[in-house]
Amino acid sequence: MLRPSAFEYHKPETLDQALALLAEFGDEGRPLAGGQSLVPMMNLRLARPQHLVDINDLGLEAIERDGPILRIGALVRHERYLTDPLIGALMPVFQEGVHYIGHPTIRRHGSIGGSLAHADPTAELPLLAVLYDAQIVVRSVNGERRVAAAAFFHGAYMTAIDPGEMIVAVEFPIPQTAAAGAFIEVGERRGDFALAAVAVQLAIDGGRIGTASVACSGAAQHAIRLPELERALIGKPLGEPAPENEIARIAGALKPPGDHAASADYRRALLKTLLTRATATACARAREIS
Amino acid sequence: MNVTLTVNGTQRTITVESRRLLADVLRQEFNLSGVHIGCAHGACGCCTVHVDGAPKLSCLTFAGQCDGKSISTVEVLGGVEAEHPLQAAFRSEHGLQCGYCTPGFVMTLAPFVDDRVAEGRMPDDLEIREAMSGNICRCTGYHGIVAAVRKAIGDRLAKGTQA
Repeated sequence: MLRPSAFEYHKPETLDQALALLAEFGDEGRPLAGGQSLVPMMNLRLARPQHLVDINDLGLEAIERDGPILRIGALVRHERYLTDPLIGALMPVFQEGVHYIGHPTIRRHGSIGGSLAHADPTAELPLLAVLYDAQIVVRSVNGERRVAAAAFFHGAYMTAIDPGEMIVAVEFPIPQTAAAGAFIEVGERRGDFALAAVAVQLAIDGGRIGTASVACSGAAQHAIRLPELERALIGKPLGEPAPENEIARIAGALKPPGDHAASADYRRALLKTLLTRATATACARAREIS
Repeated sequence: MNVTLTVNGTQRTITVESRRLLADVLRQEFNLSGVHIGCAHGACGCCTVHVDGAPKLSCLTFAGQCDGKSISTVEVLGGVEAEHPLQAAFRSEHGLQCGYCTPGFVMTLAPFVDDRVAEGRMPDDLEIREAMSGNICRCTGYHGIVAAVRKAIGDRLAKGTQA
């Protein structure tokens, strides 16, 4: 039977109280938000925190625009993005990716802070954070710091969060010109963690691709960008097809991990297919809106 | 720790260890054996109950987190005769065989059915399948479950009731 080991439960009413508790417990304490990642880890005894600090009463639930930044509070639940007008209007790829997160019950309770802190290698929100160059805002009793998504994920289930710190918000730069993109994922079953996923975001500049962002999961122990493919896309006229030969070459050089779910060779082939499809879809959508 | 739970309409204060899962407390302290535990790590959906009206996995919820909350299990949905229209549709459409996953499916899908009836809209099969994607059934192959959801919604839309 899978059951968690013993812990002490704390439910602070303010962020300052929560941070004080996390500072006191250090390595032995973990924040508890929706529990959709941490509690499975505890039930499997892969995580055995001595203290759980339940942060669900702390607010941190706003999605707000602050100039060129969309700031998402750490406790925003995944299902919100599916109907949020700001996300829908400004970041359609984000919204497309959210459909792949778990299933409706998980999306109702899981939070962005929890997903990023858990850092599953193929989870959707870490991939989107890397795609959009998000800044992860972490706070402790010593103050606040921002970590770029590219530097935040250190490996499978490993992040830049230090003991005593917790994520309070995630800041996404809002695309400043018309943008189009695509998000495609393949898993064993709908709602499972992905074997691989690809997200593409293209900003349109005149009749050309102005900037391009391509990120994938399944190619490493955390989501990565593919700058070589981004460079191949930038400047291309919108009517041109996706550069399939270039994609095949770049995908062929990837060194994805092999595990019980898929071999490295299978993942590499899958990534090539997903990169081809996502890039083609993004290019077609960019042409439609231009 | 002490927690006060309102379970299927009855309020009780109990003392629990903080590590106790809501699923275990409902089964052992409240004798609600309709709360089934399949995987105990959030992958199968069997243990779905309603916490303050919304479906939640009781294997990923500590009882201690539910202080002051209202919890419903499958036992209160259609009574001992399982008379909820969705339960009736599961029977008529062969939506269950061994029945182990059924309470979870029913608790996940009952609010989905209510929402679609309130909208006056029959969802397509893809939408129904997304709604039930967190629940695993090893017997039926899911077709009967999709049919049951369609019947539960269709019957109520035909009657024009919001019941």
